[in-house]
Amino acid sequence: MSTPVLQLRGITKRFPGVLALDDVSIEVRPHEVVGLIGENGAGKSTLLKILSGVYQPDSGELLVRGRPTRFRGPRDAARAGIGMVHQEQSLIGSVTVAENILLGAEGRSVRAGVYRWSDLNRRAKAQLDKIGSSIKPTAATDSLTFAQRQMVEVAKALAVEEQADHEPVIVLDEPTSVLEGADLETLFAQVQRLRGMASVIFVSHRLDEVLRVSDRVYVMKDGRCVAERDPKRVDVDELYRLMVGRESTGQYFREQEQRPVDGAEPLLVVEGLSKAGKYRDVSFTIRAGEVLGVAGVIGSGREDLCRTLFGAEGYDRGRITLAGRRVRFRSPADAVRAGIGYIPSERRVEGVAMGMSVRENILLADPRPVSVGPFLHPGRERRTVREWIDRLRIRTPGPDTDIGKLSGGNQQKVALAKWLNSPRLRVLILDHPTRGLDVGAKEDVYQFIRQMCGRGMGVLLLADTLEETIALSHTVLVMKDGQISARFDAAPGAKPSQVELVEQMV
Amino acid sequence: MSIRTPVRRVGRRMRAAVVVAAAVSLAVTACSSASDDDTSSGTAKSKEDIVLVEAIRSLSNPYHANWAKGGQFFADSVGMQVQVLTDEGDSQKQLAQIRSLLSGDKTVVLNVDPNTSSDTQAIVQAVKDAGGYVVTQWNKPDDLQPWDVGDNWVAHISFDGTVSGYEIAKKLFEAMGGSGGIIALQGILDNVPAKQRFAGLQKALGENPNIQLLDQQTAEWTRNKAFQVTQTLLTKHSGKVKGVWAANDDMALGALQALKAAGLQGKVPVVGIDAVPEALQSIKSGTAGYVATVSSDAFWQGGVGLALGYQAATGELKVSELEQKDRAFYGKQFVIDKSNVDQYLTPPEASAYTSDWTDPFARNTGPIS
Amino acid sequence: MSGTATTLAESGATGPDARPAAAAAPARYRFVRRALNAGPVLALILLCLLFTVLNSQFLTVGNVRGIADASAILLVLAVGATFVILLGGIDLSVEGVMASSSLVAVLLAANDRNGNDLGYLAVLGGVATGALFGLVNGVLHVRLRIPSFMVTLGTGAVGIGVATVLFGGQPPRLLDEGLRDWGIGRWAGIPRVVFIAAVVLALGYFLQRFTKVGRYAYVIGGDEQIARLSGIPIARFKVAAFVVSGTAAGLAGVMAAARLGVGDVQIGSGQLFATITAVVVGGTLLTGGRGGVLQTLVGTLLISVLANGLILSGVSPYVQKAVQGVVIVAAVAATMWTARNRIRVVK
Repeated sequence: MSTPVLQLRGITKRFPGVLALDDVSIEVRPHEVVGLIGENGAGKSTLLKILSGVYQPDSGELLVRGRPTRFRGPRDAARAGIGMVHQEQSLIGSVTVAENILLGAEGRSVRAGVYRWSDLNRRAKAQLDKIGSSIKPTAATDSLTFAQRQMVEVAKALAVEEQADHEPVIVLDEPTSVLEGADLETLFAQVQRLRGMASVIFVSHRLDEVLRVSDRVYVMKDGRCVAERDPKRVDVDELYRLMVGRESTGQYFREQEQRPVDGAEPLLVVEGLSKAGKYRDVSFTIRAGEVLGVAGVIGSGREDLCRTLFGAEGYDRGRITLAGRRVRFRSPADAVRAGIGYIPSERRVEGVAMGMSVRENILLADPRPVSVGPFLHPGRERRTVREWIDRLRIRTPGPDTDIGKLSGGNQQKVALAKWLNSPRLRVLILDHPTRGLDVGAKEDVYQFIRQMCGRGMGVLLLADTLEETIALSHTVLVMKDGQISARFDAAPGAKPSQVELVEQMV
Repeated sequence: MSIRTPVRRVGRRMRAAVVVAAAVSLAVTACSSASDDDTSSGTAKSKEDIVLVEAIRSLSNPYHANWAKGGQFFADSVGMQVQVLTDEGDSQKQLAQIRSLLSGDKTVVLNVDPNTSSDTQAIVQAVKDAGGYVVTQWNKPDDLQPWDVGDNWVAHISFDGTVSGYEIAKKLFEAMGGSGGIIALQGILDNVPAKQRFAGLQKALGENPNIQLLDQQTAEWTRNKAFQVTQTLLTKHSGKVKGVWAANDDMALGALQALKAAGLQGKVPVVGIDAVPEALQSIKSGTAGYVATVSSDAFWQGGVGLALGYQAATGELKVSELEQKDRAFYGKQFVIDKSNVDQYLTPPEASAYTSDWTDPFARNTGPIS
Repeated sequence: MSGTATTLAESGATGPDARPAAAAAPARYRFVRRALNAGPVLALILLCLLFTVLNSQFLTVGNVRGIADASAILLVLAVGATFVILLGGIDLSVEGVMASSSLVAVLLAANDRNGNDLGYLAVLGGVATGALFGLVNGVLHVRLRIPSFMVTLGTGAVGIGVATVLFGGQPPRLLDEGLRDWGIGRWAGIPRVVFIAAVVLALGYFLQRFTKVGRYAYVIGGDEQIARLSGIPIARFKVAAFVVSGTAAGLAGVMAAARLGVGDVQIGSGQLFATITAVVVGGTLLTGGRGGVLQTLVGTLLISVLANGLILSGVSPYVQKAVQGVVIVAAVAATMWTARNRIRVVK
């Protein structure tokens, strides 16, 4: 059991203007789970791309089972037994599960260009069985739920075993960032199960999860592998310190900056809002400087409520009053004009404009702060963008970089900057704003939320975790089956507990 | 399809360049149109200063192919070359091609078959501005006349569709024995020839009460459309269709195939217009049922348009002294049936037209009303 | 332990209450899929009913035969085009290819222009011409990275040009009666061209369901990036799709020549619009990744039924075009209406 399955020695990778990886060495032993953590831009995704054959290292070597190898492309990596489960889903919706699992590796199941479906389905089923899934290989991939698709992704990653002559290395890239509750437990069970037939590299921002699941943990920072730790002997704080280089403060959520808002003027008043099949009789008020957190499981109606408030969807009954005026939004443009901003949970699709630069994205929602009449003032543009990049600590080679090149977390920060840049903003709706962000970035976001409140804005928050919801909000609403099931005051020092919330959620 | 294709941004420098380029091109156009006065009409030109141009739809139909050949006949007779522009039915293209030729320094003598009536004004205006000479054929707006625009627009020649539509209808009814039901295949509905020819048919119908018009549809001048439409109509009026009137030969030939598919070949007479070689052969063979067609003599059209323009350019013809009846007139049409098809089957010699080049008005049958 | 937990997670029932979203996702998907497929079929049935009411001749054997006959060439074209559109591309060269292939076929068979008499080999020649155009389209698109609409626009023009050169100013007539019979003749009362179209449809379906050319068209059309990362040689399959489309257009040109008895530059005029409309109306998305030849069949029938029905019901020829336009827009809108929330980006 001495030869590591996978070894990276002295891997270095450069991009124009950025040293992404600097002499990184990592190894993975058979049947072990290796955790990989690091901030955005620390080099994790570059490392994974090298592992999966998408990039080639500038220097250093890669050894599979002790043999030096070069991956010329993703196929080589697959043949070496490395299977990736990506952060963003990588399945093709319009074909079957079996086709997705064996995409590019159909092999003998396709003879002379013709598919032998029974063979393909059998092979796919074998992979699905490995993880104990009952999904049918003939199912259309579109018809699966998100959790089911993750299973298929894992099966797809496991399928590399067919090509390699040894057990695979499965890389899980941020597998938990979109899971909640019991799905999470399932995943952990999966990882344990995988360990029996493979080695696993587990990449995540959630430090506690990494500690829970891994046998060893590597910490990356600024392109270097700065530490290797035994999870049993280290705690979240130390990991945080290694990752970020500064103390994690107990005041993570800046609770002490939460100011009371009792007498403040109401910014957004919602009365009796209803939409058939989604939510019923929703009423609440957000005052200036207040954070209103909304907790609820998927299907509770809170996401639909957000979309309605932002004008992306209509409603059947009820009233919305913004800054004293009755409003009815026919489109998001209406909402933006009135002063409502929205940061969606799927930033790639809805939050940032791919193909445009960082600068263009930041100025997207409201060019007025940088305009003189109908023209854009280049000097102001530059200054404003620079300010936001600094303030939010967005890691980018420059303001004109294509946003697609930024890491997920940095893209989220750009989405934030876009809205914060608009002076019209009265109420900001945040839908899972810190999803995919590392600890340091999350802190920045919390700081921001506090600052915005300090300036008299209102925030409607759908947070990633209950902990976030409770800590950040002045008031917490719990939604269940489309209705508000409970309302909690959450003043600092008198916060409700998670248990109390959960009781109302399910 | 992923949405990851990068978008090229127009940088600031590019924007500035575009503005400057636009300004410059505006200035240049203004200058060039201002300096056109030295090529004004009225001064006689010599051969070396003239360029002959034909502007037609395409060379891939026999009608225009013959037109171009006729133009060549004329050009040979004066020892010059001729340039042929084809626009494939695209009005913008036709105008653009003509304009770019006009921007040369020679005097253009243009013989053009405008795509639609609405294109004519722009074309003649462009020629006038450049000091060239133009003869238009077939399409022009009713209220626009050559003498209103100037001497540069030498003449407009057309062919009375009501005459040709009427004549072939008569031949069709004759072949049907004077009674029965017919279907009519029209050209593109808002073309002047389509409208005129159909009017000719209706006049003939008025004179022959024993013939009924069962149905009329447009097959848009094309053969494959005519096939489909005829097939449908044969079903719709099954058993009753005793004759097919088509506004041009292409459509008639398509209808013929549909009749053949229905087993009616030779049993239902068909007529068309244009005298394309295929139609002529069909008429000659006598078996297919093709009874008659009409020729406007595309060779003549191709040559006489250039002849008029050339004579105006060289001063031989004083446009200002022409009467109106010679500036917008109908040319002569020839009805072809089995009795005279042979003489049209052989392509003509260039010599057959030399008299027409010297007297371009010889075939003037009357002013356009 | 893992067994139960896994299945629970998959089915989406995680707590005391089953999560509505888990059930919602498959239900919503199925609904959208069904809408995309059902819409055109419903429209077709509706139109047929309407025209039957307006004119009892609509459903007669003769007329149905006529509709089938009129649809045959269009179906062949549309089935070929479906593969390119599934990929997310488009083939605008069909009219030019038809022109060239019809002329090649006629000039190789017994005709009134030269002494050839190659019979069925002429058909092969015409089809091969189409395949060649398809190959050129595919290679130029893939190698030079020219968007497909531009490449095919160009090759279409070349096709017309080549045809014009071969044409010699007058369409050569096809004298081979055996071949003409394929265009006009019938077997057991059914036009032969319909049989050809049926075979092409079956081949297309086989391609789409059972071969890499077909499956990868869906994959590449669904997400080209993912396909590339999975190591699929995308270029090869893109070219293959264009070859399929070109071959179909070549065959269509030969069929048209057999039917009309000539090789003609204008033989394909109007077919491009009809082809793309047939594919889109049938439910294959222009953005790629969804649809298929069966949907295209429905779209083709819709168009033919519409054209035929309008004539039968005596709608004035002066308004037929307008009516056709309205119906087509309505059909596409009806199909897309239910799916419109899902399709957020409209190009």
